[in-house]
Amino acid sequence: MLSHFLLMVVYGLLVSVFFTALWRRQRREQVVLFLQLFLGMVGGGLLAAWLMYPFPSGPPAPIP
Amino acid sequence: MAEPGIPQAAELPQPAAVANPLLAAFLAWLVPGAGHLMLRRAARAGLFFVVVLVSLAIGCSLHGNLYTPVAGQPLTYLATLGCMGLGLPYFILRYLVGYHGDVVSAGFEYGTAFVLTAGLMNLLLVLDAWDIASGKKD
Repeated sequence: MLSHFLLMVVYGLLVSVFFTALWRRQRREQVVLFLQLFLGMVGGGLLAAWLMYPFPSGPPAPIP
Repeated sequence: MAEPGIPQAAELPQPAAVANPLLAAFLAWLVPGAGHLMLRRAARAGLFFVVVLVSLAIGCSLHGNLYTPVAGQPLTYLATLGCMGLGLPYFILRYLVGYHGDVVSAGFEYGTAFVLTAGLMNLLLVLDAWDIASGKKD
């Protein structure tokens, strides 16, 4: 359960379902908003990861 | 200056309340989805209940932080309010289960995001229940 990608997908799924049920009533509108939110979050996350890929990760953070 | 023929805000008909907004908001805060259940939105209530509690369960399984105020760190006060948005589950976890999260756990940061998101989602449900009970929203 510690896969970063899996957690991001699950998080995006939960948040997308929540806001779809909160903001839309018609089935077609719900599908459109769900896809916009879910793909926006997962796609945005992948895009940010791709943009950060060239940067070095550095040493691990110290445990407080 | 008011345009002739255009009704002013005070003249517009106010939406009729369909239930006690205070009670609906309190129930919505206490148990995720309970406010919507009271307002006879059973399907949405069930969905919200599942989404909020699954998010909380994942957060706890990752040992995420269930915030408490820390002196000298103002943001922890805000985060605590966000977590307390969970209502009854927050107090059960905090005082009956004794859950705090584990800062050295590998999933701590992710878990904290899930826990905090669950609390914030429930706070939005409180506002939604208030609007529905007030007749401002379907």
